[in-house]
Amino acid sequence: MRSFRYICIAVLFAAFFLTGGCLPSPPEGTGGRSITLFGFSIMKEALEKEIVPAFVVKWKREHGEEPAFVSSFAGSETITNQILQGAPADVAILSIERDADRLVEGKAVTHDFHQSPHKGIINKTPFVILVRKGNPKGIQDFPDLAKPGVQIIHPDPVSSGGAQWSILSIYGSELKKSEAETGTADSGRALRTLQAIWKNVTATPGSAREARTSFETGYGDALITYELEGLLMKQAGAAVDMVVPKSTIFSEHPAVLIDRNVDASERPMMEAFIAYLWSDDAQKAFVKYHFRSVTNESFNDANKEFADIEQPFTIEMFGGWSKAYPEIIEKVFRDQVQKK
Amino acid sequence: MSTNLSKVRHVRGFDLVKPFSITAMVAIMLPLVFLPLASIFIFGTSSGPQKFWDALMAPEAIFALKLSIVTSFWATVFNVFFGLFAAYVLSKYNFWGRNALIVTISLPTAVPTAVAGFALLLLWGPYGILGRYLEPHGIQIMFTATAIILANIFVTFPLAFGVIKPVFDTMNTSLEEASATMGATRWQTFWYVTLPSLRGAIVSGALLTFARAVGEFGSTILVSGNLAQRTQTAPLYIFAKFNEGQVEAANAIAIVLVVFSFLIFSILFIARDWLETE
Repeated sequence: MRSFRYICIAVLFAAFFLTGGCLPSPPEGTGGRSITLFGFSIMKEALEKEIVPAFVVKWKREHGEEPAFVSSFAGSETITNQILQGAPADVAILSIERDADRLVEGKAVTHDFHQSPHKGIINKTPFVILVRKGNPKGIQDFPDLAKPGVQIIHPDPVSSGGAQWSILSIYGSELKKSEAETGTADSGRALRTLQAIWKNVTATPGSAREARTSFETGYGDALITYELEGLLMKQAGAAVDMVVPKSTIFSEHPAVLIDRNVDASERPMMEAFIAYLWSDDAQKAFVKYHFRSVTNESFNDANKEFADIEQPFTIEMFGGWSKAYPEIIEKVFRDQVQKK
Repeated sequence: MSTNLSKVRHVRGFDLVKPFSITAMVAIMLPLVFLPLASIFIFGTSSGPQKFWDALMAPEAIFALKLSIVTSFWATVFNVFFGLFAAYVLSKYNFWGRNALIVTISLPTAVPTAVAGFALLLLWGPYGILGRYLEPHGIQIMFTATAIILANIFVTFPLAFGVIKPVFDTMNTSLEEASATMGATRWQTFWYVTLPSLRGAIVSGALLTFARAVGEFGSTILVSGNLAQRTQTAPLYIFAKFNEGQVEAANAIAIVLVVFSFLIFSILFIARDWLETE
């Protein structure tokens, strides 16, 4: 009996050692080289299902080598912080240009990505409001979100780029509308609207995608997010309606090569991948996944679901991210909205 | 006291306290433990067994599970050996600073795991206190499987030690002394006299450490880089799938972890009985 016990235990430990002893080997491309891609949360589907496989086929045809892709997706600020701490990303696709600028400041990116085609921006999408089917709270535009009893899910501006776009969208929308109505942009009205809306925010998940998951599981009455998230949800049959604000921002997403992690021999492949993001094939794939093309507006006609925005604007209205971040996100949102 | 109570509460020879206590216990566990576990099973299999199976067989999922097992395994091996060694040293020898060391070993349980992860980054990261001297030599520890093992070692550090140390403390030293007087070397005494009475504690400590490491999330997400099929462990995979809104895929892996932990703790239970009833 005693020896039986020992045999059992020995077998158990042997099994333990055999299964636990050695690391599983990651999949490798034929050339053994890989591209490590860090993307902000909503980039996943378009990249993984269309663009990456298409690039692999193209590169293999032209160079006879099949690169492996390794990817990580999270909030834009989160992946930027990981890269700044040394994460081995070769290419980063970020929600906001400010994060690319932070990578430049942290010396992870040493080239001037602003000089890339389209200033480094690979695609764009407007910000919209998602509500429950039938719009029970009667939300037509951003100010309606301030109504009492509306519960808003809003990603956390500390970790999410989408959250910052959303704040700029609300604020800029009021500026734009007041300017159209009275001739002058009313920053007081914009601030009051933002403050009133923020009072109704009941949860701040870490990324736009996490916010969507919370909303999908039935939490909250409204979610401010990228148009493509709304379209993806409707495509998946979620019981939501999309409310298109009269005036809203187009978020623009940059792709940057992380110079620190890319050596000279790998560089041509990484550069080819980034260049591929602006190719007609990639831009059409983005449109298929509800992003809007930045290279050719006529590609956008292919997607019938895209909303018409009456008074659209971009980050340029605030003078670019270098002004928008300190002046709106910090001085207006952080100091006058969040601290109230 | 309790025996008196049960004598008093007997009604016609029937112990009322027993069924009442069991019902109360289960009723308390129901919303706190059973229902949350049940919801994992309900949501993980809500789209039928085929979807569940596909979710489990996804290459990313299999890789994540394997990586979790391997990294937890090495953390367990290290922590059991170290825990045994530390428990031996700290219970055999009395020296200045001994209590401070015992408290320090127990600290990782109280440190939030995110703090643990960040501490490792600040130490071993490419810009960390030590990492910056390794980086020029092409040695990178963070964002690799090694980082996950280090994080697992840190957060599970006190577990094996905590189980083994009390056994050392309460051990009857007369046997060891007898062995020594009979001319056995220190090593012989340890191997033939001390170690056998520790078997149960070692197995418990190992399985506890392993189970805790397999479920580790907070520190891993910071130090691993969360790269699919490279450094994504099972809990990170679950989190990623939740974020993508793929609740079923997330729950499918969660079910594996729950079943796995159940097996581990069952083994723990049986093994401890076996080893201690010599």
